[in-house]
Amino acid sequence: MLVLERLGHFFGLVFTLASDPFNLITLFAAMLMGIIFGAMPGLTATLGVALLTTLTYGMETGRAMIALLAIYVGAVYGGSYASILINIPGTAAAAATAMDGYPLALQGRAGKALGLTTTTSAIGTFVGMLFVVSMSPLISALALQFTSFEFFLLAFFGILISGTLTSPDIVYKGWIAGFLGIFLSTVGRDGLQFYPRFTFGLSDLDGGLDVIPVLIGAFGIPQVIQVLKDKVVVGEAKKFQRILPEIRDIVHNIPRIIRAALIGVGIGAVPGIGEDIAAWVSYGTAKNSSKHPETFGKGELQGVIASETANNACIGGAMIPLLNLGVPGSPPAAMMLGALMIHGVTPGPMINFDHPGFILQITAILLLASAAMWVTGMLLAKQVVKVLRIPPPVFMPIVAVLCIIGSYALGTRVFNLYLMLPIGVVAYFLTEMGYPIAPLVIGVILGPMADANLRRALMVSKGSFLPIFTRPVALILFLLIVLMMISQFGWYKRLLGRVKERIARSRSRTRRSD
Amino acid sequence: MMEKKKLRRADFVFSVILLAFGLFILGYTFTMPMKDSWGGVNNVWYVSPALLPLIVSAAIIIFGVALLLHSIRTGGARDFLDNVRKRTRGISEANVRFLALLLALASFVYMNIPRVDFFLCIVWFMLYCIAIFFFDDAKLLVRLTWFYLGGNLLLLLLFITGIDRPIRQAFPFGVDVLMLLLILTFWLYARMAIRADRRLVARLRTATIVSVVVPSILVPIFKFGLLVPLPNEGGIISIMSLIRYALR
Repeated sequence: MLVLERLGHFFGLVFTLASDPFNLITLFAAMLMGIIFGAMPGLTATLGVALLTTLTYGMETGRAMIALLAIYVGAVYGGSYASILINIPGTAAAAATAMDGYPLALQGRAGKALGLTTTTSAIGTFVGMLFVVSMSPLISALALQFTSFEFFLLAFFGILISGTLTSPDIVYKGWIAGFLGIFLSTVGRDGLQFYPRFTFGLSDLDGGLDVIPVLIGAFGIPQVIQVLKDKVVVGEAKKFQRILPEIRDIVHNIPRIIRAALIGVGIGAVPGIGEDIAAWVSYGTAKNSSKHPETFGKGELQGVIASETANNACIGGAMIPLLNLGVPGSPPAAMMLGALMIHGVTPGPMINFDHPGFILQITAILLLASAAMWVTGMLLAKQVVKVLRIPPPVFMPIVAVLCIIGSYALGTRVFNLYLMLPIGVVAYFLTEMGYPIAPLVIGVILGPMADANLRRALMVSKGSFLPIFTRPVALILFLLIVLMMISQFGWYKRLLGRVKERIARSRSRTRRSD
Repeated sequence: MMEKKKLRRADFVFSVILLAFGLFILGYTFTMPMKDSWGGVNNVWYVSPALLPLIVSAAIIIFGVALLLHSIRTGGARDFLDNVRKRTRGISEANVRFLALLLALASFVYMNIPRVDFFLCIVWFMLYCIAIFFFDDAKLLVRLTWFYLGGNLLLLLLFITGIDRPIRQAFPFGVDVLMLLLILTFWLYARMAIRADRRLVARLRTATIVSVVVPSILVPIFKFGLLVPLPNEGGIISIMSLIRYALR
């Protein structure tokens, strides 16, 4: 009965949101913007959310969330257009889609591939939404048991795991990026004693670094520099006719779609890991479990389905830690966190008390976004593809201007621009040298949480670290952090290898004696 | 990302920078109150504002050392030193493009935005950026960049010598008019530089249209839609305001 009542409440909320024409206009406009953003090589979902945050400043929170989630969902899906039609991933999340999407386009099946990605992306978003609504109460209840030690360790864990999993080169480069992010978060007067840290006497730095210019600088400026410096050339898009998918294809692939969605949600829920990793893991799993792995990379529909379902399901996964713990699950979710704070919503365990019904509202918006994505994708695919004709040297300076105006508009401080540009240039060099940017951004966002909770925890325990070992969740998080760090050392890998070897030997001995 | 050999070279340089940076944070952290009193409050080490910066600096130093050792082990340090010895003069086209973009962004943000009409700043930045990258011609890029640099140096001279103040007093939008003249001169220079090349003429037309249309959309959205006061509301934005309030 309670379930039915809650379902009724949920669909009532969906209906209320959808019955407001302004909400619908916002939803479809942001969705279209997101698809265009995702489709254009060099523009990312994170940047889309960052730039739109500025425009949502004057909106009421519910409508702002509609706009931001719609652009997020749209941009993750839109990346598949460029992947399939011109073999350049529109976003990193769609890189895996290009593996089979483009060969399909070469075979004249671009329409079929696009139709399937549109439908599976919608299903992926829907599955992600189901997890947000079902897992949130559990995680919220668990998080309510957290003390400052757990929050400190959680923040640290988020930064480190993001560094571990997103580093394209040596793992500790991701950690270095995370610590640089934490350093940036310490700039300004500290929250407990109001002591000015790293302000160098500049009053503009007293309030700390604003998160939005840092995020826009770190994600936007490197994209602009990279595309214009390296002369990214966009090829001619392949033609396609019908994109409405055949029901048979969907039904036939339902188990694969569900598996990909579960992978997407799971990876999305890990702090700081983005849609790109979800797509690659899902693609790899689909290939490894296929009876014909040799067909992957040559135009296999299952490959496209795996990556596109997973990257969109990742959105729901990323919202779970964001809403319940205040820890963003992906880079665009980090941007969403900034946007939520601007709108006076502080995500975390108290969200259900401070803003009752907010998580349900987000879930309802995700459902609407998934439907709007399908409709927009089906109706406007041919029109959206036209944006791929815009040459990068024309649209990248526009993006640069949007980054600048976006960084300025939220605080109306020119000083934010003075910070945004050097951060962007440094982020560009870091990217070139194999340092991931996501941990840096997560560090900036979670740094204050780590700082305040560490000191608060030690204040309560009078300087003792013992509670870490006596509290189960804290101990688990601590062990995970230690394990994550030592697992990167050569001696640990050698030791593990020896242990495995001995176990294998003793097993073979036992078998022989049997 | 860079190719492996270059990456290891960069690792060596960056590890040295990281170490220096970590030591700087550590040094700065020791100036923060640890156990002494601050603002009338007696401190204990575990509530000190230095606690997290200490952890951060220690981590940066440790990882800096690890990176340094890794770059030495993988030959990055040796490669870097060899490279310094054999250093050849000249700059690659990609780096010229990077410097040209950096010039545009830096002059836009640090010099023009706080002092010149925001609309004109965007036009000046976009016209230059789109033209140099859309023409896709290395020689034209260098020629136009020199012109752009000259124009910006002229403005810089105006601002640092304080000549802009009497100009503004005599005529409120004098600097904006100068910027407008600079934009027109740049356009004419670019037009002459590309001569009769139809493809480039079409591209200059696109650059001109886009660089005027974009601020014509963005400025009213932020100024009148979102009610954001723009960094410098000069001549053009004043005209926009006049039109806006006349139409209201």
